[in-house]
Amino acid sequence: MNVTSVLFAFVALTLIKATPIAYAALGGTLAERAGVVVIGLEGMMAIGAFASVVVSNATGSPLAGALAGIAAGALLAALYALVAVRFGVDQIVAGTGINLLAIGIAAYGLTVVFHQAGASHEVPALGTNGEIVLVALAFACAAALHLIITRTPWGLHVRACGEDPHVARIAGIDPMRTRFLAVTIGGALAGLGGVYLAIGELNLYVDGMTAGRGFIALAAIIFGRWTPFGALGAALFFGFFASLQVTLQRAGIPSELMQALPYLAALVALAGFAGRAKAPAADGVAYDGS
Amino acid sequence: MTLRARLGSLRDLGLAVAIALVVGSIAMLVAGVNPIVGFSSLLDGALGNRSELGETLIQTSALLFPALGIALAFRGGLFNIGAEGQLVLGGLAAGTIGADLHAPALVAIPAALLAGAIAGGLWGSIAGFLRARFGANEVIATLMLNVVAALLASYLVNNLLHDPAGQSSETALVLANAQLPVIVPGTRLTIAILLALAAAAIVRYVLAETIFGYELRATGEAPEAALRAGIDVRRTALLAMTWSGALAGIGGAVIVLGVLHRFNGQLSPGYGFVAIAVALVGRLDPLPITLAAFAFGILQSGAVSMQAEAGVPREIVAVVEGVVILALAGQRFLGARKSRVR
Repeated sequence: MNVTSVLFAFVALTLIKATPIAYAALGGTLAERAGVVVIGLEGMMAIGAFASVVVSNATGSPLAGALAGIAAGALLAALYALVAVRFGVDQIVAGTGINLLAIGIAAYGLTVVFHQAGASHEVPALGTNGEIVLVALAFACAAALHLIITRTPWGLHVRACGEDPHVARIAGIDPMRTRFLAVTIGGALAGLGGVYLAIGELNLYVDGMTAGRGFIALAAIIFGRWTPFGALGAALFFGFFASLQVTLQRAGIPSELMQALPYLAALVALAGFAGRAKAPAADGVAYDGS
Repeated sequence: MTLRARLGSLRDLGLAVAIALVVGSIAMLVAGVNPIVGFSSLLDGALGNRSELGETLIQTSALLFPALGIALAFRGGLFNIGAEGQLVLGGLAAGTIGADLHAPALVAIPAALLAGAIAGGLWGSIAGFLRARFGANEVIATLMLNVVAALLASYLVNNLLHDPAGQSSETALVLANAQLPVIVPGTRLTIAILLALAAAAIVRYVLAETIFGYELRATGEAPEAALRAGIDVRRTALLAMTWSGALAGIGGAVIVLGVLHRFNGQLSPGYGFVAIAVALVGRLDPLPITLAAFAFGILQSGAVSMQAEAGVPREIVAVVEGVVILALAGQRFLGARKSRVR
């Protein structure tokens, strides 16, 4: 094996590991710019992964599966937006509920649909070409989201709601509608991250397959300073660690320590950036309609 | 608690039960099971005989410790989502000391429990420290620390602390003197349930009667005012996260010392997350939390026999718990968070 092919394999693995985190982090960035913290990204990824496998299995079409996964992520996010935005409940607590609910539905559904616990059987997957498209699409999504947030009127509305929904209201923006839409689109992106895991990288659903990526995505949002390109960069950074871990594991270095690195890096970032990088001022603060 | 708050508590509990019944019924119908058959096998499996009631109370004690810890932190305005990691490390520490310390039960049991409390407390204090010192968001910090705790426990048990005579992924058997004594013959129920009830009484006393409890509540309810009144809100945050983690750590310890008798991957089916639902249903108040822990204990222990007898996948419990959390996230006592001090 020559150096080029080793390097190529390493870069490819980094992209593979970064892509699902990137989708979730991009979705979460949009929601947080609108002022809604989405602790439930993990659950939205899980439900997206599960739905894509169920529909791909039922229809034989992985494309239909992918669309179903996006729709499932959006639907769960809409439920979250209903309680967190419309009813203004505590976003942290509701997000924890969303995670428990989604992972429960996937585990329950696994037994109901596939008559076995732990993992589904193999289903039609998107294949290598589909996987490459999804990796490229993540970069395209980051660019699109950047343009939407910084250059479009709706993006301005989103930012206004994230900084001060009351002032946004006075300016004629409907904060609830804007936040609802931002969270739902964010959920669709997180669902797509789940689709990538289930029928992009693999061809089945395994219980717990999201494995904390939704939480890493929350760290990537902070690392990326609430910008789409920042979130993408942070996801690539975490993907780099993940592929380093796979590579070093072959060399006999305990995998747990390497696996923990991105989370430890996130903790350091959390402590170090807290004073410098600023979250949207109204991030996580419910809007009560006044 | 005022009469009005008591009625509110009952109404919320009623709401939670109603939602659980409706969502549970729908899920059972999806699986092709008659909900009446499903729920009766759940209740029968949880309360049908002495041994089953014992299992339910074991689940109650496993949930009560982390739920009390979560309530303590939440009352101080700190969202400790990290009970799961604190519980796992508490269980590992207790299992290690319990398997290693040759001493009479009166020494071995308190020492192993203390080890669990210290491990959980230290883990909780990391998030508390990051919050107090750097203003780091404790929600994200505890979520990260959960994953790191699971990896750390896995690393330690696979490399340093595993049973030399047994499998690589578990610690050695806890010595007989460190195993919690069974209090009802014919069941696996140990003094863990009595310890959990005592912990509920202590947390209630600390919150209601001590200076620390007052400062904690003041910090949670009106951080600006607490700061101006001379309360050291940073120190309070650090202490709240430490005690919160210690309670979760004891929760892990009693599961290891009382049920599993060693640390392994079966320690927690997510007690640290379910305990959030328990704390919310109990309105962050130790007495109702105790009742809520029993209710969720019924769910956890009855689900096993419901799967075996009625054919309802036991994962239905997580679905119901998630919906209950969503339904109760709007309670007014969580509102203080909006105006907290960095």
